[in-house]
Amino acid sequence: MASDPVDVLIVGAGASGAAIAWSLLETRMRILCLEQGDHLSDRDFPSRRDDYELARYSEFSCDPNVRNLKQDYPINSEDSCITPVNWNGVGGSTINFLGHWPRMKPSDFRTRSLDGVGEDWPLDYHTLAPFYDMNDANIGVSGLGGNPAYPGYTPPLPPIPIGKLGQTLAMGFNRLGWHWWPSDVAILSRDHDGRQRCVNAGTCDLGCAAGAKGGTNFTYWPLLENAGVELRTNARVREILVDGNTGLAKGVLYHESDGRVHEQKAEMVIMACNGVGTPRMLLHSTSSLFPDGLANRSGLVGKNLMFHPLTGVAGVFDELMKGHEGPMACSILSQEFYESDPSRGFVRGYGLHSGRSTTPMTYALGGFGIDNPIPWGTAHREIMDNVYPYLAGLTVVTEDLPEEHNCVTLDPELTDDDGIPAPRISYRLSENTRAMLKHGEDRAKEALLAAGARRILPNDSDKVWWRAGWHQMGTCRMGNDPESSVVDGWGRSHDVKNLFIVDGSIFVTSGAVNPTATIQALALYIGDRIKANIANLFD
Amino acid sequence: MVDFSMPPKERRLLASILDQLVPGSRERNIPGAGEIGVADYLAHVAARRPGFEAALRRLLARASGLADGIDADAIRQLEQTMPIEFAELLSETYKGYYSRPDMRAKVGVGAHPVHPSGYEVAQESAEFMDSLIEPVRARGPFYRDPGVAGGD
Repeated sequence: MASDPVDVLIVGAGASGAAIAWSLLETRMRILCLEQGDHLSDRDFPSRRDDYELARYSEFSCDPNVRNLKQDYPINSEDSCITPVNWNGVGGSTINFLGHWPRMKPSDFRTRSLDGVGEDWPLDYHTLAPFYDMNDANIGVSGLGGNPAYPGYTPPLPPIPIGKLGQTLAMGFNRLGWHWWPSDVAILSRDHDGRQRCVNAGTCDLGCAAGAKGGTNFTYWPLLENAGVELRTNARVREILVDGNTGLAKGVLYHESDGRVHEQKAEMVIMACNGVGTPRMLLHSTSSLFPDGLANRSGLVGKNLMFHPLTGVAGVFDELMKGHEGPMACSILSQEFYESDPSRGFVRGYGLHSGRSTTPMTYALGGFGIDNPIPWGTAHREIMDNVYPYLAGLTVVTEDLPEEHNCVTLDPELTDDDGIPAPRISYRLSENTRAMLKHGEDRAKEALLAAGARRILPNDSDKVWWRAGWHQMGTCRMGNDPESSVVDGWGRSHDVKNLFIVDGSIFVTSGAVNPTATIQALALYIGDRIKANIANLFD
Repeated sequence: MVDFSMPPKERRLLASILDQLVPGSRERNIPGAGEIGVADYLAHVAARRPGFEAALRRLLARASGLADGIDADAIRQLEQTMPIEFAELLSETYKGYYSRPDMRAKVGVGAHPVHPSGYEVAQESAEFMDSLIEPVRARGPFYRDPGVAGGD
């Protein structure tokens, strides 16, 4: 069955799909977005229930292999120390992300020139800066201007409270003379644009029922649907179709929820499925013109997968830290060790994030992202009564450098419910990353002790967090050279002139910050380039 | 869905295991996991997850054969001899215990669903934040900017 052709077909209704749709709205082109999941009403978010924490281990897990909902596809992570996490539905992973919103820094776009690693991006920070600003205004970003770790900018809303925990850690950083700053967050510190300010529920990953978190379900999509963008849900794309004569994309095949296959024709296809979903779809879209996968003449589709490997250090203080009160991931951020320093024994750097503590069940089960329950028996009672309430921690978030052996491929056996091959993740930590993590752990201990921790909790594992695969980058990277990149400097496939990619897969390097601010800024930038080149877009 | 059936004797055995896993504190008026009926939660889970039901039955069978009854040594024995089943029981016990709003409150977290009321966290005053960030501001810019003349 075929539907009427559209001008623009966007695959995926998450962070980047929504942002590019907003950018292209003014062109008055007919825009259709296909989303494999559905709308999720804020009334259905688990945070309205008494037993809200249970949802984190079942239907609202960040791990699709645990959720196993109809709209999810399985991911084979047996050959990886980190498993990808996500949400499939309108809003994508902005439904269950934590809303931490740091920008990448100028040096992140020039790692080859500055540090001899990775590759330089085909654009720079200053090109992207106006699009960061534009997106921050659309999302409602809270933060404090004047951060000396960045060229000047000021978030549109004042910062959220950093709370007792943030204040305590900030004083520790000050004692050491280290950088810190209140986190930029995609979370409202004030009522804004018809949305309610943050109520400090502390369960951002379970869906923000207040609408304070800037998921695209609350920001872009209501506006887009009112403006006539068609959002077709429960529509899982199977493959992208190519015209055998022109070599251009001509549309997609997709499954409705009953499994039936439909064809949707389009003048332009935009992929917005992030760093695992997009290469999966391109690799599955084979034809005589593209036997190794669509837009894959470079052989780099799926290669250079980057995450942000994480580890955490926690200290026990004398006073109650009330770490469960306030947005989970966002209090303050230190970028003291972000830029390269050869004396440290590794290249590039990391951030020290003061996430708040988690809720009791999650803490007892090992923490956010880890399955490693705390001891039972009298030790359990002691920990929950005399440690948990007094905890403050720092998370070490490292830059991950691109390496071709870290990759997404198609699993030869595992499929989703519609028979589409599942992605298979092959990923291991580099020695550079391990050195960074070790350095970060030691510095985090110093900071916690300087802040007044009476002791540091032992970390008896050298493993990184298993469910740390929020940030999926690099698998269809940008570049000027078709031999060494998948898309050009404005997201257009080198091989297929009417195919664009706007998600985290086009990152050239990862930086050491949460990527969504940059993903959406890039989508707006690409939208701007499409509009500027509209007269000869497919030449 | 029918709940996992457990004769009273087995339920008492399970409750005593649970009180060892998450013991109460008389001093702080906190009941243990067996005392507050986490066994009921486990029975619900077992009725929905055959794998867990089988694990629970194997554990209870082994525990009922322990001559000296249920104490910390007996639990350690179960942990060592049936590590997979024990790990499942421990995880589900923590879930059952801390999904209870009243038990959450015992460790300082609100008993209420977190939406819509959340928690009151006072906004720091501008004067306080200014004084806190002053040492950071005083250092001046410290990023590398290859896009600006004079940058690295």
